[in-house]
Amino acid sequence: MKNWFNKNQNNRFVQIGLQLFLAFLILGGWELGVRLGFISAFLFGSPSGIFTFAVKSIADGSLFVDTWTTVFEASLGFIIGTFVGSVLGLALWYSPFIAKTVEPIVVAFNSVPKIAFAPIIILWFGTGLTSKVALAISLTSIVALIAAYQAAKDADIDLQGLMVTLGANKHHIFYQVIVPSSMPSIVATFRINVGFGLVGAVVGEFISSQRGLGHMIFTASSLYDLNTVWLGLFTLMLVGFVLYFLIDWTERRLLPWKLSDHKTELRV
Amino acid sequence: MKHNQFKLSLQNLKKSFTTKGETLQVLNGVDINVEEGGFLSVIGPSGCGKTTVFNIIAGLLKPDSGDLFVDGIPTTDLRGRVGYMMQKDLLFPWRTVLQNVTLGLELKNLSPSEVNDQAMDYLSTYGLSGFEHAYPKTLSGGMRQRVALIRTLITNPDILLLDEPFSALDYQTRLYLEGVLIEAVEKYKKTVILVTHDIDEAVALSRNVTVLSKRPTVVKANYKIDIQDRTPIGARSDPRFSEYFHALCAELDIQTQKAA
Repeated sequence: MKNWFNKNQNNRFVQIGLQLFLAFLILGGWELGVRLGFISAFLFGSPSGIFTFAVKSIADGSLFVDTWTTVFEASLGFIIGTFVGSVLGLALWYSPFIAKTVEPIVVAFNSVPKIAFAPIIILWFGTGLTSKVALAISLTSIVALIAAYQAAKDADIDLQGLMVTLGANKHHIFYQVIVPSSMPSIVATFRINVGFGLVGAVVGEFISSQRGLGHMIFTASSLYDLNTVWLGLFTLMLVGFVLYFLIDWTERRLLPWKLSDHKTELRV
Repeated sequence: MKHNQFKLSLQNLKKSFTTKGETLQVLNGVDINVEEGGFLSVIGPSGCGKTTVFNIIAGLLKPDSGDLFVDGIPTTDLRGRVGYMMQKDLLFPWRTVLQNVTLGLELKNLSPSEVNDQAMDYLSTYGLSGFEHAYPKTLSGGMRQRVALIRTLITNPDILLLDEPFSALDYQTRLYLEGVLIEAVEKYKKTVILVTHDIDEAVALSRNVTVLSKRPTVVKANYKIDIQDRTPIGARSDPRFSEYFHALCAELDIQTQKAA
């Protein structure tokens, strides 16, 4: 048992080592290419340039302001959109008639790339925070709505029957069966929607904004300032990572009954 | 026999289903009668409408016509009077063992402290102390069915309705749980209806067996099982056990002898 554990532990170290080596290889190769003139620093930027600019924008605080702006817009849009969408999707369970009636509207709305709404959303909600949040909501709410409604429809019919024989009414069934059994699907949309929240915020910033990572990337690329563009992209990557782990943490707290005590492993 | 002698009496039940414009007559006048404290099994060939009978008794389905009597009193709805157990344990995976057991009591708006004390008593009676805060997925199949049994008993329904509750379990666990069930039924004086296709279980557990015909379903035969010993192994060892077993197999047209 101990041996097996150690072996796994060793594998983990080897893996991290390889990952770091791979990152070093890519960045080192890139830098070397720029230094030797194979790669155009004008069109591709360079790791050392990105690093220099990163130090500068961290020192003057502008990177934090831009990052915080985007994270705030994306998170607000994600939270409101996912919440409203999930609640509406679950509520549709109450009335199959209404659900059937609005289904074509939902499908129609879902089939439009939501990014196409960005220009009108900016017209309606202005160039500030609201329009970015609204765009993020339009992206996230529909995903949550469809997932929540599907999960509510698929809730175990026998559990509902059991509730009926125990004297439950429709509200009891909703809160005791429909909502908890839909939670795994709803939580699964968190992962997708965190990404969509960022898409909404960044695209909103592309179109019109004063700050934010999207603004930083967009203005820098129109000035051919590739190092700034890369810094913005790498920061977005980091933000995505952090949010993903936050979701992972939330999932474990929201669905304690889904955790397995002993992992089963299948070797093929 | 008159309906008022029975705990539960269903008279001349008819039920048809319509799918894609075609009407399928499932129950074509079925009578089910069970005495107070009795144990009745309803068996029949597959597709004969056992599940329909189950759902009507559970109050999940309305018959097209037919009369329902409980204690001789005409009734339209059996909801809340019947506790049921199925082959699936139907435990709520997001609720702990304790929360699963108290579900029915919560729906009756009983105070949480009262409910928990009662639940803990039941859990210790059925050897589940220490598992009250475990989630169902961490329990074995036999333990899960015991939890389901407690959940059914704790709301104190007069009538227990069982749909092959043990057929997904291994034979040993099954014999053990049949014993637990029979003991509980006698202790709490329940009237039981077991809907099953398992003749072995029907003979071992019940006092009466109602055999249903093929669709459109009517009652084909009623048997009284006259075996004194009601422990699962005892009943199966009784010389009359195989007699009943073969008789019921014959009713269902199951070949029990090797064809020449």
